[in-house]
Amino acid sequence: MITHKDPIHILLADDDEDDRNFFSEALAELRMTNKVTLFKDGKELMDYLERPDIRMPHILFLDLNMPGKTGFDCLREIRTNPRFKELSIAIYSTSSAEKDIEETFVGGANIYIKKPNDFSKLKKVIKDVVNINWQFHSSGLNKETFFFSI
Amino acid sequence: MKFLRLYKNDQVFKIALGIAIIVIGYIASVFYSKMQKLDDSVELIATSNQTQLELEKLLSIISNYETYLRSYIITKDEAYLKNRFLDRGEIERNFSRLNKLTAHNPIMVRDIDSLKVMFDTRFAIFRETLTVARIKNADKQALNDLLLKGTYLTNKMREHVYRTINDEAKKLKVLNESHQFELKDSMISAFLLVILSLLILLLSFNRMNSDINELQKANDELKFLNHSFNNAEKVANFGHWKLNLKTNTYIFSDNFYRLLGVEPQSFEATPENVSKFMHSEDFDYAMKVHLESLQTLEPTSVMIRYTLPNGDLKYINSVGSFMQNSKGEQVKVGVHYDLTEQYKKNIELEDNNRELQAINEELESFNNIVSHDLQEPLRKIQMFISRLEEKEGSVLSEQGKDYFAKIRAAANRMQSLMIDLVNYTRTIKGGRTFVKTNLNSLLEQILHELALNIEDKNAQVTVGNLPTIKAIPFQIEQLFINLITNSLKYSKEDVQPKIKIAAQKITETEIVHGKEMTEKRHHKIIVSDNGIGFRQEYADKIFVLFQRLETDSKYSGTGLGLAICKKIVENHNGCIAVKSKPGKGSEFSIYFPKNN
Repeated sequence: MITHKDPIHILLADDDEDDRNFFSEALAELRMTNKVTLFKDGKELMDYLERPDIRMPHILFLDLNMPGKTGFDCLREIRTNPRFKELSIAIYSTSSAEKDIEETFVGGANIYIKKPNDFSKLKKVIKDVVNINWQFHSSGLNKETFFFSI
Repeated sequence: MKFLRLYKNDQVFKIALGIAIIVIGYIASVFYSKMQKLDDSVELIATSNQTQLELEKLLSIISNYETYLRSYIITKDEAYLKNRFLDRGEIERNFSRLNKLTAHNPIMVRDIDSLKVMFDTRFAIFRETLTVARIKNADKQALNDLLLKGTYLTNKMREHVYRTINDEAKKLKVLNESHQFELKDSMISAFLLVILSLLILLLSFNRMNSDINELQKANDELKFLNHSFNNAEKVANFGHWKLNLKTNTYIFSDNFYRLLGVEPQSFEATPENVSKFMHSEDFDYAMKVHLESLQTLEPTSVMIRYTLPNGDLKYINSVGSFMQNSKGEQVKVGVHYDLTEQYKKNIELEDNNRELQAINEELESFNNIVSHDLQEPLRKIQMFISRLEEKEGSVLSEQGKDYFAKIRAAANRMQSLMIDLVNYTRTIKGGRTFVKTNLNSLLEQILHELALNIEDKNAQVTVGNLPTIKAIPFQIEQLFINLITNSLKYSKEDVQPKIKIAAQKITETEIVHGKEMTEKRHHKIIVSDNGIGFRQEYADKIFVLFQRLETDSKYSGTGLGLAICKKIVENHNGCIAVKSKPGKGSEFSIYFPKNN
């Protein structure tokens, strides 16, 4: 559960360095008191998550097309592990292919974000997603609300 | 007509023929008996004539004797008495002939007998007269008495004879008359007999002739049928074979041989001879199926490859089933179809299919490239543009800002092009399933999605009552999105855009792209606007890929939107057409079949 006392811990797994930079820049510009951890591929992400000593993060922004362990692989591993059941997953991909949306929805992701092509839009997306009442969002989750339109 | 039918009927004809033969037999027997009677009467007439002659002869003999006697009395010349006078022998011969002639006639016999008695008496008087005459100075009175007595008796005899002759003549006359009648009767009978025989002969001949004609006709027809069947086998590329299970003999049709690439009937019809042509891999199976069927009497169907003498490979489907011939013997009848052409075409089709699949896969990967790999760097460019504008925009000159705006516009255009291309290729791909789609709820969703664009243009969109159709939902969604954005894009600047979407009744059959559209079979949906419109002659051009009518930069189109619409409508076996007037607006008509 996210409480006001905890600083929100956000993870981003994306193999694209520019995108990681845009993401952290956007967060910095939003001046939110968040903790951000970046991973450059799926393996790195999973290695981190499986460490027993970590505190459970709140939101994971997950790219789909990554070398080695893909976003789909990570999603599956996370959702089959009851330890991560509190972790909200936001798919963060260039693709808006129906097939990908469908598959991640079924796979248990909480929201699907198509990477924006404008920096101000990126900031808005991050702000909106972080401020979502996840419990409310998840209980009313359907395919229409799953795809996040900016 | 009735007679003709009877005439045609075999049974009736046979009965008639039998009756005719009986009638002829009867008439012939009547005729024979008549002839017999005729013969009898001829004989009777002859006998009666002969009797008359003999009787007259007798009278003349008596007359002669009287003359001789008188001459002797007058002359006393003995010479008159020498010449056979009172020769009993001659008389006796006469009587015996008469007796013979009249033997069958009792009246005549009696007459002749009494005549003989009279003759005897006359002879006695002759002798007495002669004795008296020889005495010299004979008693003239006694002589006279004797002569008178003799003459009287002679007259009596003559009377008797003439009476007899008269009776005979009367009888003869009756006989003659009856003879004439019999003759006439016989002639009529004979004539009738001949006519009847002729009639029957004619009828039989005619009947036989028509029978022969019919037989000939049937024969000709059979020949023709056989000929056409043979030709049909040739044309349709099939041959047949028969196996009599009792005699274990095979018969192959001519085309059966031709299918094997040899002359008809060029080898003995046995399975061994045929198996020489069979592909070695198919031989065992084909023979096994065939021999098993001879036990079970179940129909068979096998595909057999044959190697022809010229080396060609033939694919032949051999089907067989069992039936009984006219003698009640089991016969297996089989047909060989030449499926080589179909088989080759099938292989060709399979090849084409594989090729198509490969092309489809390529298209899919192209799709992936466009939708992901190409968009990725483009999105980066756009991101950096937005970063630069935000961070460094203030230090740029006016011209630099202008350039930047142009770079951004170009990048945006490139992005929408890519999205449209992906959409277009998605409409080409097959394998989408049709589901019942309520167009009204679909449009509600679309309008929600396009809410920002509609708001931007301050447009008024009205949606009428729309039908539920079987469709590929995401494609129909794309179709209406494209049409509505198209109307928004080409709206007039100074007038509020009004877009109307409604179903319309097809009051009379419309011809769209050569196809008939009727209310019974099609839904018609209208999307109309009050935009800038275009000249009607461009109506077909706008649906062509990358064809744009407006080149003015304020109308930012990719040239794909309406091409996608056309493709989608075609995917639904429908049609799309447009009516437009420059400055007045456009009206798109979409037709969907009702039963798909």
